[in-house]
Amino acid sequence: MRSLRRYLVTVLIALFTLISFVAALQSYKQSAIRAEALFDQDLQILASSLSQQYQAGSQQELGLALQVWQKGKLVYRSALAPQTSMSDAEGFSEHNFSGKRWRVFRQTPTDLLTVIVAQPLTQRQQLADEVITASIYPVVLSLPLQALLIWLVVSKALSPIKRFSAQLSSKKANDLSPVELDQVPAELDQMLKTTNQLFARLADAFEREKRFASDVAHELRTPLSVLQVNLHNASSQWQRCGISDPEGSMLALQAGVERMSALIEQIMLLNRTNPEHFQARTEQLDLAGLCRQVVADWYPHIEKKQQQIELLGLEHLSLKGDAFALRLLVSNLVGNASKYSAVGGSIQLELSAAQDKAMLVVQDNGPGIAPEEYNRVFDRFYRVGGDRHQSGTIGSGLGLAIVRDIVVLHQGRISLGASDFSSGLKVTVELPL
Amino acid sequence: MLINTVLMFLRELLPLCLLLATLLVWHRSVWRSFALYFALPSVLMLSLISLRMVWISEQLDGLGVELLYSFLYLSCFVLLCLSALKAQCALVSSALAAACLFSISGSNLLLYIWLPTQAENTPADLVLGSALGVGIGASIAVLWYYLLSELKQWRISSFALLLSLTGARQVMMASALLLQSDWLPAGPQLWQTEQLLSEQSELGFFLQALMGYEATPSLSQLLLYLLCFGLLFWCCSFMEKKR
Repeated sequence: MRSLRRYLVTVLIALFTLISFVAALQSYKQSAIRAEALFDQDLQILASSLSQQYQAGSQQELGLALQVWQKGKLVYRSALAPQTSMSDAEGFSEHNFSGKRWRVFRQTPTDLLTVIVAQPLTQRQQLADEVITASIYPVVLSLPLQALLIWLVVSKALSPIKRFSAQLSSKKANDLSPVELDQVPAELDQMLKTTNQLFARLADAFEREKRFASDVAHELRTPLSVLQVNLHNASSQWQRCGISDPEGSMLALQAGVERMSALIEQIMLLNRTNPEHFQARTEQLDLAGLCRQVVADWYPHIEKKQQQIELLGLEHLSLKGDAFALRLLVSNLVGNASKYSAVGGSIQLELSAAQDKAMLVVQDNGPGIAPEEYNRVFDRFYRVGGDRHQSGTIGSGLGLAIVRDIVVLHQGRISLGASDFSSGLKVTVELPL
Repeated sequence: MLINTVLMFLRELLPLCLLLATLLVWHRSVWRSFALYFALPSVLMLSLISLRMVWISEQLDGLGVELLYSFLYLSCFVLLCLSALKAQCALVSSALAAACLFSISGSNLLLYIWLPTQAENTPADLVLGSALGVGIGASIAVLWYYLLSELKQWRISSFALLLSLTGARQVMMASALLLQSDWLPAGPQLWQTEQLLSEQSELGFFLQALMGYEATPSLSQLLLYLLCFGLLFWCCSFMEKKR
């Protein structure tokens, strides 16, 4: 199909012409057959009307009434004709007699002879109806066929657009590969080219953005590590030389560098787990085992803060997901719970499965978050209370944004609520099994 | 009568329209050249036959027209085989094959229009009948063209099959004329499918135009038909393999 317009115009015209002409021919044939039958019937009626004269008591419903007058005297009448003259007017006229309406023709070939023939109007209408009906039937019957064929042709013509739209709608968020179609009609060709060019430009832009953020974070990490080492050395030297730091400038500097390092680390992770860029490598994994590993990783930090952590619920929970991303999700949640809980606080992880989803609940007895902040904490770089966070904990405001991205990536859900402890936050993550 | 004019036009035009549509699917990319190669010899042959019709009909003991038509039908088949075998002359051969069929249909239609018996037909009958016949023939050709384009896209052998049927049909027509002229032994009649599918019915009419459907074929006709069908199908398959 080179052009939708040409295809539709030619095929529809051809269909209409073919069906209309075939219907017209059928009408012609049917009408001719019917007319032939009617002419034969007329002959029968005429014969019957004449023969009734000689058949006592025969009164057919259909038939002609005939009268022959000679010198004003009725010399012949058929069985259906009355005794009186059926019409006084020459030519065609309509009259009532014998309880019916009749079409009458009176002819006077000579002054002495008058012939009057009459036919019931209902009979004439019935005969006319039969011919007309025979001619209309094929036209009416062709309409559903036309409708069906139009539907098929239009569906066929629009199928490239349908395939184009299906390919677009089935594309994943990170799939910027060009759309490929066979037999592209002229009308769709430019649209397809423009769309593919747009995809190519978008892919380039995403790649540049991804590389830029990654390169910046990577390039910053090295000097920051050097800065951390130098700060540590400087602090040791100050201590050895007995230089006092009454205002705690060195500590503040160390905390700032530490926060910046954490921020860059999180930016790199955020960039990596962004659903628009992330190529998930889904595999069957044990979420309970993964949680145990994360708890083990965080345990030194938790122990340092003299906090209690417990993992409840299922001992094995198998689901399909990306191991790196899910590990990061659990790690961020456990890390947040530990960081924002006071010394000696409690953290609880609970795993359960319901119907077709796995549920991970992480709760602590820290200060918690006000319900009006629940939606905002998933925004990038948002920290409750801003930079003056009351916990004084180093944070980037990216942890929960990363968690949400990972949940979206796995087509799951995340919700926040009040902890089952006397205070604190409860994070519920639902992931499809 | 109107119906006679319609049937006459359909009988002459439908096979030509089907062959033209089939060949246009084949030569879609060079359809302008095809049209040119088809139009010039068509007009030339039609003019020659029409102008010399009386003389032709008097030749060979009054069998001139039948034998000329048989020759043209057979030429059509041979040219189709040639176009399938030789890629270099495919365009010209197939256009000439269509021109052969056109000259038969055209001269028959001209004869019908100018025949003295046309006095029985009113001009309105002739105009309306020819419009209906041309309209139906052209519509079927358009639909056939798109159907074949689809078939060719999905299954290339279906195109070869239909072209072979169309080619064998021309041989069937030639054989009918040769039988009529006693140039071909009739042989026994193989079967009678008139009751099952009449040649006068719509489907019978279409199949006759497409593949030379015959309700009462003779043995010689059937053998000739199968032989020619097989030959052209082999030529088409050969062409595809070469490509």
